[in-house]
Amino acid sequence: MYPQQIHSYLLQFFNENNCQVLNDNDHYINVQLTIEMDKKIMNRPYYWRYLESTDGEPNPAQLTFITDKNRLVEDIKGEVIHFGSPRLSQLFQATKEMGSFVQMYERIVDKLEPQTILTPWLAVNYKISYYSDQTKEILYSLGINLMTGEVKEEFQELLGTVELTSTMSENTFNLPYIIKPIRALERLDGIIDNFIQKADHTWAEEAKLRWQKDRKVLEYFYEGIENKPDCYETEKEAMDQQYEARIKIDIINGGLFYLK
Amino acid sequence: MIIEKSSEWKEGFTERLENREAWDNWTLYRMSYEAVKTNLITDFNGLQSPKYLPNLTPLAHQLKVAETVIERMNGKAILADEVGLGKTIEAGLILKEYLVRGLVKKALILVPASLVNQWIEELNQKFHIPAMQYKKNYDLNHCTIVVMSIDMAKRSPHKENIYDQEYDLIIIDEAHKLKNHKTKNYEFVQNLKKKFCLLLTATPIQNNVFELFYLISLLKPGHLGNYETFQSSFSVSKHNVEHDDYLKELVNQVMVRNRRQDTGIEWTNRRVQIIPIDFTQEEQEVYDLISDLKNVCPVFSDAFSMITLQREMCSSKEATCMTLTNMLQKCIKPEDISYMEGIIQKLMVLEVNSKAEKAYEIITDASDKVILFTEYRATQTYLQWYLQTKGITSVPFNGQFNKNKREWMKQLFKEKAQVLIATESGSEGINLQFCHHVINYDLPWNPMKLEQRIGRVHRLGQEHDVHIYNLAIQNTIEDHILDLLHVKIGVFEQVVGELDDILSAFKKSI
Repeated sequence: MYPQQIHSYLLQFFNENNCQVLNDNDHYINVQLTIEMDKKIMNRPYYWRYLESTDGEPNPAQLTFITDKNRLVEDIKGEVIHFGSPRLSQLFQATKEMGSFVQMYERIVDKLEPQTILTPWLAVNYKISYYSDQTKEILYSLGINLMTGEVKEEFQELLGTVELTSTMSENTFNLPYIIKPIRALERLDGIIDNFIQKADHTWAEEAKLRWQKDRKVLEYFYEGIENKPDCYETEKEAMDQQYEARIKIDIINGGLFYLK
Repeated sequence: MIIEKSSEWKEGFTERLENREAWDNWTLYRMSYEAVKTNLITDFNGLQSPKYLPNLTPLAHQLKVAETVIERMNGKAILADEVGLGKTIEAGLILKEYLVRGLVKKALILVPASLVNQWIEELNQKFHIPAMQYKKNYDLNHCTIVVMSIDMAKRSPHKENIYDQEYDLIIIDEAHKLKNHKTKNYEFVQNLKKKFCLLLTATPIQNNVFELFYLISLLKPGHLGNYETFQSSFSVSKHNVEHDDYLKELVNQVMVRNRRQDTGIEWTNRRVQIIPIDFTQEEQEVYDLISDLKNVCPVFSDAFSMITLQREMCSSKEATCMTLTNMLQKCIKPEDISYMEGIIQKLMVLEVNSKAEKAYEIITDASDKVILFTEYRATQTYLQWYLQTKGITSVPFNGQFNKNKREWMKQLFKEKAQVLIATESGSEGINLQFCHHVINYDLPWNPMKLEQRIGRVHRLGQEHDVHIYNLAIQNTIEDHILDLLHVKIGVFEQVVGELDDILSAFKKSI
């Protein structure tokens, strides 16, 4: 992420969360947090508990974020934010928590058409992580038609081409779904399982070979020793943990979409 | 294969479907997806960490080390770059990479006490890794990345507390301190669970090749076989190795080592020379008397104290006098006492210190900042006095100085004094690139100590050629030390790889 991207990310994040941006100078921003946001990112539960028990006047923090230090000429003190700074990963995490479940409708502008029928879809964004002593992650964005059961990949990209709102437009109505969303979710989970089964897992084979090789070396060291010391067991355990192949499936977010 | 799945999202989704909770914001939904996409690790190989470190520009060789250690050595390696090439940066890159990839959650960093602060600062500022210093009574359950001195870690109750934790990565700086497998330090590290592990040392062999064997056995027991097979397959004795090509190959599977000249950076030259010195007649006389002690009386026949005395005599009468006086107190027979007193008397009337005069000459010729290393505190004090009488300003430097005093002395040296007189323990972790003359007033037994000393000035940021003067008095024990240093350097180069000049510009073949 370049400084400019981070800058727009922050702007958007605070705007969406109703935090007033007091100053936006394209390489730094000054923002007034709301009470909710202060509780979420300022990590001061005792302050808030005290305030609430004494009925004091809340004073949520005002923060300055410098998004491009190189362009800073003003005498400004603030947190320098860059890709990799703890604050940014905290905001990523907050975004994830506040953007996990949505229900959206395609916006219909054409008022001449008598009535538009919207079809319900369930969309889920999955992240699959492969772990051994190395890692790799894959993103799957799936959508399933709750009428027909049809499944589409790269669904998030597809949604990007449609205008969506959180309320239904006039003169539209949506079909009641035939496949229950929870049932559809199970079906998507099954497809992901299937992907994983069919995927190329040489990485796991290779990790196993590395593991076996290291194990042989270790056995050689303690060969012929009858009462092996504790550190032998410790080493062995460390190896198991280091090379054991694991797959983790995470759902980033998902929701119901009513599309034309 | 183990597959981990959480039903958390499903539960939250059900809550919304049944109208018990509100739906989220679409923009945040999209932003969240985009953030995950940008952070996605799309390949098992390659480094992710540099893009998280916009304020750090790692050098090419440092990036390569990080990649090699992770991809080819499976995260278990000895980082053995020459002094001053940034081993800390390499370790930081590897730690960061594992943190980004989620392979390391908890890490333990063991360093000499004097370097704890430096590590904390570098990790926090350069790598944005929230490392903290371990203090007594800290609960290790709450410390994810913790730096502590190895001397503290090996003691109870800290030792037990550490063993109770599950560390994914262990980093040990100045790992040559683990060369002796009979020490508490070694035993402590041996019993640590080492999933990923980095041992940092510029000098994996200090005195003999077994040290490397023990270091590697700590990292990967069995890699060089067990002790017996190692010894027999390579016909190893302390200072000799056969089949060294094969051994080198094995060593290189677990060790990365960059030399200054491999880094693609322009390095200034090292101009190393041995400066032979002759004793005055009077000095030689006292030296011979001391060497004769063992023939005079069995009380003095202990080889160790004899060698110590000879070395001290090559340094200064002040250093010698202390040891002699101590020995005198142990004498019982009147003739021994009078022989001793005779030597001390002859010693005390010496007016010339040939070595000190030579050092003064070098300092005057350099007419620039000079670091002088001595093995003895008494010599350190004497030289300070001696240089003062000649109108040369100097400051002392010892390992026992605390952090503030070290900084203060360094500052004094940089701004006011011409000479820094350091004892051995002062040669760790200080960087003095503004100086480029090093006098090794006394020679240590261990060539790697010389390398460490030179490394204080010959490192990134040095703009001048570095001049190194190794002083040795002819026809004394120092001749023997020189020979042994040559042999040890030979072994190091056979097994570990070439060394930059430390003793002289010409290599003796062994």
